Amino acid sequence: MNSAARSDLHPGLDTLALYSRGDLPLAERWRIKRHVKRCTLCEHELLLFASAHAELKREASAQTLTGFEAIVDWLRLEREMLGNIGVGVAAARCIEKVGRTRVLVLRGLAIGGLLALFVAGWMTHIPLHETRQFAASLRRAAGLEQPPLSGTVLRATPDGITVRTQDATLKILHPASAVVSVSGSSAMAARYVDQETGQVTIANVYGQ
Amino acid sequence: MCMGSKLTRIVFLSFLGACTLPAAAADPSGIQAGSWLAVEFPQDSPVLPVSFNLLGPANPRVRGASLAIDLHAALLLRNTGTKPVSGITLSVEAQGLAPSGKGSVTIPSLHIEPGEVFPVRVDMQLLRPFSAVRTDSGGAMVRVSLDCALFSDFSFYGPDKLGSRRALMVYELQARRDRRYLAALLESGKFTQIREELNFGLQDVAPQQLGLELLHPPTVISGREHAFNVGAVSFPSAPVQAMGGAAQVFQNEVRAPRVLVKNTSQKPVRTIDMGWIVRDDQGRDFVAGSVPAALELAPIQTARMAESGTLRFSRPTGQPMVIGALMAFISDVEFSDGKLWIPTRADIDEATTDPVLRRSLADSPEQQRLAEIYRRKGMSGLMDELRRTN
Repeated sequence: MNSAARSDLHPGLDTLALYSRGDLPLAERWRIKRHVKRCTLCEHELLLFASAHAELKREASAQTLTGFEAIVDWLRLEREMLGNIGVGVAAARCIEKVGRTRVLVLRGLAIGGLLALFVAGWMTHIPLHETRQFAASLRRAAGLEQPPLSGTVLRATPDGITVRTQDATLKILHPASAVVSVSGSSAMAARYVDQETGQVTIANVYGQ
Repeated sequence: MCMGSKLTRIVFLSFLGACTLPAAAADPSGIQAGSWLAVEFPQDSPVLPVSFNLLGPANPRVRGASLAIDLHAALLLRNTGTKPVSGITLSVEAQGLAPSGKGSVTIPSLHIEPGEVFPVRVDMQLLRPFSAVRTDSGGAMVRVSLDCALFSDFSFYGPDKLGSRRALMVYELQARRDRRYLAALLESGKFTQIREELNFGLQDVAPQQLGLELLHPPTVISGREHAFNVGAVSFPSAPVQAMGGAAQVFQNEVRAPRVLVKNTSQKPVRTIDMGWIVRDDQGRDFVAGSVPAALELAPIQTARMAESGTLRFSRPTGQPMVIGALMAFISDVEFSDGKLWIPTRADIDEATTDPVLRRSLADSPEQQRLAEIYRRKGMSGLMDELRRTN
């Protein structure tokens, strides 16, 4: 049956098929119903649709029964189910592992980025001598370096001897050629020849 | 630089303008220029300041939360007494530093006849927190005064708060010893030996340098410090002999050295100057200095000399110098009657076979001065100087 050959007044086969299953909108269903009451051809088509549907339903019931009969082998079914469950669990674990690695990598990248930002900020904002002091503090905390001693400190450097207290630091200057030595239980001396006067000069610095 | 520090700098620079002017004093016993530096001598001092200049700009600069000032002062002093001046020590005190710390400048080996003038240079750097600078109650930041002047007859003048009299006397005794020794070599024509004694006229032949750090109060260096034996270097004619001792040592630090000493003379002793020799891990010896200590010691009596504080050694480059051995020697002795003993040249020659150590033990301010004269003026200049001073 060709729909092109049917009169334009007859509904199409697809519309009749939908009508036979009650799947048309209300207005369309009402219009087809009126047409079928007056058209034997379309009524016949509807009957064919109904019988085909009944046949399909019957065959589906038969196939279901056949499948039910097939799974009467419970042991096989159990094995298949356990196998499927095993495959599912393994797949879930695999997915979970991949996800965890990804999370770890992302976290590592984030921490590394923050660390790099911190180091860059430190290098650009903290003076070098403070960085050295901090490093020295860490070394002292780790026991790799001797702690500084409190009290008066006398220190000889190439250009002078320094005594430091809380309120002031005094450095008596001397040329680099000066011979520096201890000159008392809390005193240091630098001896040199003054190039202008030719006199030997001894600069002493005392701390209590 | 913040606004406050700029303002402080401007204030100090304005002070600088006043200070760079030569300060001719109406009162010869005291001179003050601006707020920087004051020179104060007693009215009756046989040595008085004639003038002083601050050389160059003080160049105050901001260093952290502090102000750093360089002071280069040139004083001109006159011997207004009746005896030749052999040496002088000027005390340098800075605001905020006393009484914990101070400095001094000593000029030994002088031969200043009455009426003569002589220069003294004082070069220093002062670092003070801004808060302390702003709250100072006035007065000069640095005060230079006379601590001791020693005359050729070993009499002295001055408060001697720094123990300068004893040091100046030792320097003068060493100077006379060395001048006699070199004059004797000259008379006997031992020019090769003179050249060797005076570093062949080379400037760079100097005692090896040491980096030093002296820390007070004494503190336990580390749990890893260990007891070290202290050896003794003996001078045959010394009235007091070092008998050996011990010290706590950890790497480049020495703490609490103590040495047993014995008075082998028949005279009671008042003070002893203990010299210290440090041997590094490569076997090189350095004379680290000497420490005078008051120690009443009767004839044949023994006693233990102990030093407080911790001494840290380093190479001139700043690297720690690991201590391989420690030795002590009696550098000089002061008897109860005020007389002093110093080792003779023969004592030094017999004390050690190491030529470098022997040179270090014989090194004195006068030897250094004469070596400089020999370097500049040659043998004839040395002969003239020895003739003038002997």
